[in-house]
Amino acid sequence: MVTQEELIREARENGMELYPIEKDTYELFFGPQHMATENFSIILKMDGNRVVKAIANPGFLHRGFEKLAEFRPWYTNIALLLRICVPESDVPEAIYSMAVDEIIGWEVPERAQWIRTVVLEMARVSAYLFWIMGLSFKLGVYTAGQWAAAYRERFMRLFEELTGGRVYHIYTIPGGVRRDIPGDKWLRQLKDTVEYIKSKLPDFDNLVFENYITYKRMEGIGVMDKKFALAEGVTGPNLRATGVAYDVRKDDPYLFYPEVDFEVPTLKEGDALARALVRRYELEQDLYILEQLLEMGPPSGPYKVEDPRLKNLPRFKVPAGDAFAHVESTKGDFGAYIVSDGGNKPYRVHVRGPSIAHGIRVLEQLLVGARIADVPVILMSLDNCPPDIDR
Amino acid sequence: MTWEIGEEIVKKILEKAPYAEGRVRRERRLEFKIPAERIREFLMIMKENNFPLMLQISAVDWVRDGEIELVYHLMNIELGTHAMVKVRIPRDLDKAKMPTVRDIYPAAETYERDVHDFFGVYFEGNDKMEMPWILDDPERGLYPHRKDFDMLGYVKKKYKILDRFDENKDKYVI
Repeated sequence: MVTQEELIREARENGMELYPIEKDTYELFFGPQHMATENFSIILKMDGNRVVKAIANPGFLHRGFEKLAEFRPWYTNIALLLRICVPESDVPEAIYSMAVDEIIGWEVPERAQWIRTVVLEMARVSAYLFWIMGLSFKLGVYTAGQWAAAYRERFMRLFEELTGGRVYHIYTIPGGVRRDIPGDKWLRQLKDTVEYIKSKLPDFDNLVFENYITYKRMEGIGVMDKKFALAEGVTGPNLRATGVAYDVRKDDPYLFYPEVDFEVPTLKEGDALARALVRRYELEQDLYILEQLLEMGPPSGPYKVEDPRLKNLPRFKVPAGDAFAHVESTKGDFGAYIVSDGGNKPYRVHVRGPSIAHGIRVLEQLLVGARIADVPVILMSLDNCPPDIDR
Repeated sequence: MTWEIGEEIVKKILEKAPYAEGRVRRERRLEFKIPAERIREFLMIMKENNFPLMLQISAVDWVRDGEIELVYHLMNIELGTHAMVKVRIPRDLDKAKMPTVRDIYPAAETYERDVHDFFGVYFEGNDKMEMPWILDDPERGLYPHRKDFDMLGYVKKKYKILDRFDENKDKYVI
């Protein structure tokens, strides 16, 4: 019987270019259309069903936000930059506004700070629910994914009432927030929603996080240790799953976070399962923070600074200077470095997406040795947000 | 506003690196300015002084000064202190060169590739820079984030449909 090897050799001798290049390895383009990669593309070199080498291939979403931001007035940029990370669009708004506040030297009123904190936490909860949806689809637990999407919808509705937009809110602006909270009814609804989602967390545990299949699929794959993660610049839940309790909300506090009490969950294993569980615990902590904030109630006072410059927004100018602001997003440490030369447009906006750290080099190293079926699970456990990288 | 822990950190670092300028910007924010050729030495000092995390390398094109400013964002995760290390290099393509720091901070490799693609700064010693990055092959070598990049000209050339716009209009909003 003629073996495959001989057939390949014969074909090569006759001048045919063939994959597999070597004996058993072949190249596999994974994404960007593949639904498991979420707009991201990886070039995999496979040996059978094992990954031998992985090359991250970003650039399919590149929209040049940073360049475009240099051509737009300060306030118009918010509607642009928030599109950087879709599931958590409030974070780019917040970092941009905080950096501009710092350059101008504005003291944001307490009420605005409270509202910003609530909005950021709501964004975190809905982003985690979105992530649970993605993870359960990849694990094949479609029921949990549909639940998560439905619960996220409740937050979307609250966001719509607060800001007028469901996904893109354009709500946090330099100097405060765009408009006041609709009233006590909205606060009550938010409280009910938080309680409702909290009561539904055991269902997710039963179906996803304590499931035998999840453990089988996620335990011991994509392992990274503390030293490696720090050297590679990994932040957020991915870093906390290796045992480093670094959380911007605790370590470099901003807004109302010093006033609330919460824990920073950490695990030591550093594998895909640990990353998933850290996110599960954080979801609980976020709901707890929201409960405390609602208990506290919004402080009285104005919801944005009173400044005569705000009367004419297209001519609004920011004094020369630079500032860096960062917040804790569900993906990690999300920051913005903003430079002003005194004009009515930013001179340079540089956004630090957390995914650029764990989406390129770390991913390339973690995928080596994984099975093809593990690739989407590792990708999902890292919670990669491709627009962060492409910006 | 003074922040004592910050002043101490700055003092400790400046003792080891007398060529640097350092100051406390506000609580939990430090800033250092150093000459470009001392970057590797200085980042090693920073890493020894408990700044294990590199967040980003930002580049700012100061076209009037003829310089590109590189800002290395470092993070001390125990004190939650963010430090900017600023260097300035000439923006001429043949002179815009920096030594790579990826052996000190491995994460820097990605950020260096990014700065190279968009600003044309060459990082000596980083072999991954020549690999394709976010830009497509025709765009590589144009350095779109530089201030003198002709954005409208490029858009018109690439997307011919825009020719219908008025040629005499001197300002476009893109």
